[in-house]
Amino acid sequence: MTTLLTEASPSGATETARPAKKKPRLAGTTAWYVVALFICAVMVVPLLWMITIGLKSRTAVFDIPPKLLPHEWTWSNFVNGPKAIHFPRLFLNSIIITSLSVLGGVMTAMMAGYALARLRFPGRKLWFYLFVGSMLLPGVVGLIPLFQLYKSIGWYDTWLPLIVPAFLGGNPLFIFLARQYFLAIPYSIDEAAKIDGAGHLRIFVSVMLPLTRPAWLTMAILAFQASWNDYLNPLVYLYSSGKWPLSVGMASFVSPFAGKTPDWSYYMATNLLYMLPPLIIFFAAQRYFIQGLGALGSTTQK
Amino acid sequence: MTSSPERIVGTSPVKQRRSGRGGMSRNAGSDVKAAYLFIAPAIIGFLVFVGYPLVRSFYLALTKYNGLTDPVFIGLGNFRRLFTTDPAFWPALKATAYLVVLYVPLSLVLGLALAMFLNQRFAGVRVVRTLAYLPVVLPAVATITLWKFILDPQVGLLNTILDRLGLPTSLWLQSPNTSMPSVVLVMLWGVGGTMIIFLAALQSVPTELYEAARVDGAGSWAVFFRITLPMISPIVLLQVILQTTAALQTFNQPKILTNGGPGFSTNVLMLSIYGNGFPTLGRIPQLGYASAQVWVLFIIIIAVIALTAKFSSLWTYSDNTSD
Amino acid sequence: MKRTMGVAALACAGLLVATACSSGSDSGGSSSGPVTVTVMTWESAETNVAIKKALADFKDDNVKVQLLDTPSGQYGDKLASLTQAKKLPDLFWCGNDTEQQYTSQGLLVDWADKIKNGDGDFKSDNFVPSAMENWKTADGQMGGLPSLMNTYGVWYNADAFTAAGLTLPKAGWTWDEMYADAAKLANKNGVKYGLVADNLTSGDGPFTMSMYSVSAGGAPFTDNVNHPTKAEADDKYQEGVTKLVAAIKNGSVAPPGYDAANVQSLFAAGKVPMTFGGQWLAAGFQTDKPKIKYGFAPFPQVQTPTTLYDSVGICTPQYTKDQDATFKVLQYINTKVWDAVLPASPVAPPAYTPAQTSYFDALTKAQQPTVADTVKADLSAEKTVGVRFTTQWAQQVGDLTTANYQPILSGKKPVSDLPAYIDKINGLIKQGG
Repeated sequence: MTTLLTEASPSGATETARPAKKKPRLAGTTAWYVVALFICAVMVVPLLWMITIGLKSRTAVFDIPPKLLPHEWTWSNFVNGPKAIHFPRLFLNSIIITSLSVLGGVMTAMMAGYALARLRFPGRKLWFYLFVGSMLLPGVVGLIPLFQLYKSIGWYDTWLPLIVPAFLGGNPLFIFLARQYFLAIPYSIDEAAKIDGAGHLRIFVSVMLPLTRPAWLTMAILAFQASWNDYLNPLVYLYSSGKWPLSVGMASFVSPFAGKTPDWSYYMATNLLYMLPPLIIFFAAQRYFIQGLGALGSTTQK
Repeated sequence: MTSSPERIVGTSPVKQRRSGRGGMSRNAGSDVKAAYLFIAPAIIGFLVFVGYPLVRSFYLALTKYNGLTDPVFIGLGNFRRLFTTDPAFWPALKATAYLVVLYVPLSLVLGLALAMFLNQRFAGVRVVRTLAYLPVVLPAVATITLWKFILDPQVGLLNTILDRLGLPTSLWLQSPNTSMPSVVLVMLWGVGGTMIIFLAALQSVPTELYEAARVDGAGSWAVFFRITLPMISPIVLLQVILQTTAALQTFNQPKILTNGGPGFSTNVLMLSIYGNGFPTLGRIPQLGYASAQVWVLFIIIIAVIALTAKFSSLWTYSDNTSD
Repeated sequence: MKRTMGVAALACAGLLVATACSSGSDSGGSSSGPVTVTVMTWESAETNVAIKKALADFKDDNVKVQLLDTPSGQYGDKLASLTQAKKLPDLFWCGNDTEQQYTSQGLLVDWADKIKNGDGDFKSDNFVPSAMENWKTADGQMGGLPSLMNTYGVWYNADAFTAAGLTLPKAGWTWDEMYADAAKLANKNGVKYGLVADNLTSGDGPFTMSMYSVSAGGAPFTDNVNHPTKAEADDKYQEGVTKLVAAIKNGSVAPPGYDAANVQSLFAAGKVPMTFGGQWLAAGFQTDKPKIKYGFAPFPQVQTPTTLYDSVGICTPQYTKDQDATFKVLQYINTKVWDAVLPASPVAPPAYTPAQTSYFDALTKAQQPTVADTVKADLSAEKTVGVRFTTQWAQQVGDLTTANYQPILSGKKPVSDLPAYIDKINGLIKQGG
């Protein structure tokens, strides 16, 4: 706890440094970088440690006292670890499941957001409240009844339970975000398009989508993370190992049964590869992400 | 569900648009059809994934059901057991409350502090932002497992570092006194999620306001309390609601780090529900009972949110009192 | 509203793509012709490879065997969802408790007749008798067959004992000796606790404690773990608890809440000098090669040698396609597969006694004589106690133990609170019938 609490005080200090930019500039800058370095350390050291575990031999993980650097570098973990869980196949599965659910989740949320923000129809407020209210519903409510529903319509051991909900507006937060973003766009744009004879579909696709890029990119990033990291649903719904995504495959390293030490070195080495895609996507789209999230609190009600 | 997110969300003067009313009322007839077409997937999804489970699980809450044989209606029997005989229920509520009280304020304060810190112009600030958000991007199962290693009292990194620095070490997850704070510590490592939303809010505060305040000679604390905080108050409220809802449903961290132990110290309600619905190897699930617990959790969430929303109207800044 | 349907159809078109994708990756096991018998284990990836290899030698033109992969880390969750979905594989690894509960729900195929009048050597006489007894339900059904026996004892770090000038644990040692040793080994050379005894301090603790009372001539915690009529804590039992509480209090035994997940690695690293554990750790040590000298001793006693009884097995769901084919594979696993798997990884002695030779041979070859001796002693121990209830309401006993028994061990409640805990369990027994 102590490590994290200390972050709070320096940021208060730099808060002061901000208005007083001109005078004690050097001191302020130095202070900022010291704190920044500390934050980076807190966030990154655990990950560096993970890399070193990935490089250690199987039993060296439990050396006491723990050594920060491995004394023999076991690069082969990065080959044998992934091989042990059929990494390429699971990777492909994860890509397919994730891209479909990102597509579905973003598309339906944008559609719903468009209607709720820019079209006038009876029940608009009601549906908005219902959608947003369902954000508060604990996920477990669905776990038991939906499992039985999927089972009875033959979706057990298919990817459908992981993908279809996304195509049906699965994430109410996205609908909320989309609506907020749409509200911020001037209505004169629609009117101009309507005068040109465009229907709602065309306005939505060729006018609104380009304008709302930060919003749907943000949703795409969030949806990607959620689907890529989802573990419980694929575990419960997928029976054949050929259909598993990576998240479930990763769990097969940690086996408490039959006298095997969980193979932490393989686990951590494979983990690095597993983490790469969400990392790359976040790095690439960071700017839009922050911009898109801004919509959460910055637009007006209408 | 009574809370109104519309009311939560105030207005930032920059993006405020009031011009659109006329556009909306035109062609109202065709709008209705188009609108329902656009929200149809979401409505179907709502009915199937929210409505149906809600009704079904309410029925199950009134039954004895193991998923293998047909449910048997027992009225309020599950709730009676929950509130009177179950030795795990009250500790679970207590653990959940402890977690929320510990996590939510810390997450908000740290998140906001971090956001303000990173909302400054310094070379390399984007790198720091990215690193601060990094833990949120990474797969939860992997990072939590990693933390379990770090917190291990004997071979863990944290105790090793503390020991080398000559600081007192701790049992962390393995003592009933420190287990919940340790779980919260791991959750706070992901404070980047809270930070990034605050950061987005801070960036939409118009700089003219700060300049005006500066001209008036306001100190930095005054700027913070008179300008920054009021301007971002809608998002603060949204964050309170999101974080509280999430904290009440915390599952991954205690499941992986402690599995509820030692004793009941980290056995939060979600963990207890999961344990009854999907029990350990070789035990028969108690789905009816788990559903009753789900409903208790649901009601708690609604109550907390309703209270927050009600209380918030006192302090949330909103400049569009019209409409 | 008609056009609403249009959108729904559109959304479904998107879903069809998804269906195509998912069915495309189907490995497609069920062709007409030979019956496919599916097998699911909770073993590690390496052991599964060995099992797969051994299963490949199963020759029958009408039967194909397929080993399913599963992340063993979450076997319980997996099994629960498969059970709900009625998709259990034809043969799946299961515990005695799963077998008892599932059989009582009518979920499993009853093998009782088949094994009683089995052809050749594959019949009940050739199984460890206590295992056969425990796998029978109250009405004589057997929803599966025991496959491997789990025996338990105390793993000790011989180097640490020698360094501290203590005699090594061996058959016949007493509980008092064990606690005294633990006290001398604790808090030395990076060691914290002298003894880690998860079996005594976890949710199964009250059952393990029966070893003390039974060995002293007293009564066990419960008369029968499968169909109990009562729970009790007599004087001897309370004496055992009192001694454990004292040992936890003075820091020589790890308290409840100690995370035993990495205990075998810590033991191998020399940081836990004594730990309760199953014989299966031997297999892990064989691959991990600890740098310490270690041994495996039977549990301590008061008067009579007493140990824990536990076995795992293989179950078959009621809806298996072809019972005869499944039984053939089951027989093959129990009689032949172990011979191929155990030499590389001596996990446990088979319940089918003719197959035990390969297990003990492997231990001898791996120079683990103490393990072989202790396992043999355990299998023939005079008295055994069950490790946990196998009843439907076992989950609730777990909660009661966390709420009432563990605080007694950690000294937060007095030992005199034991009867109240016992009363609550007796209440459950009465209720559960």
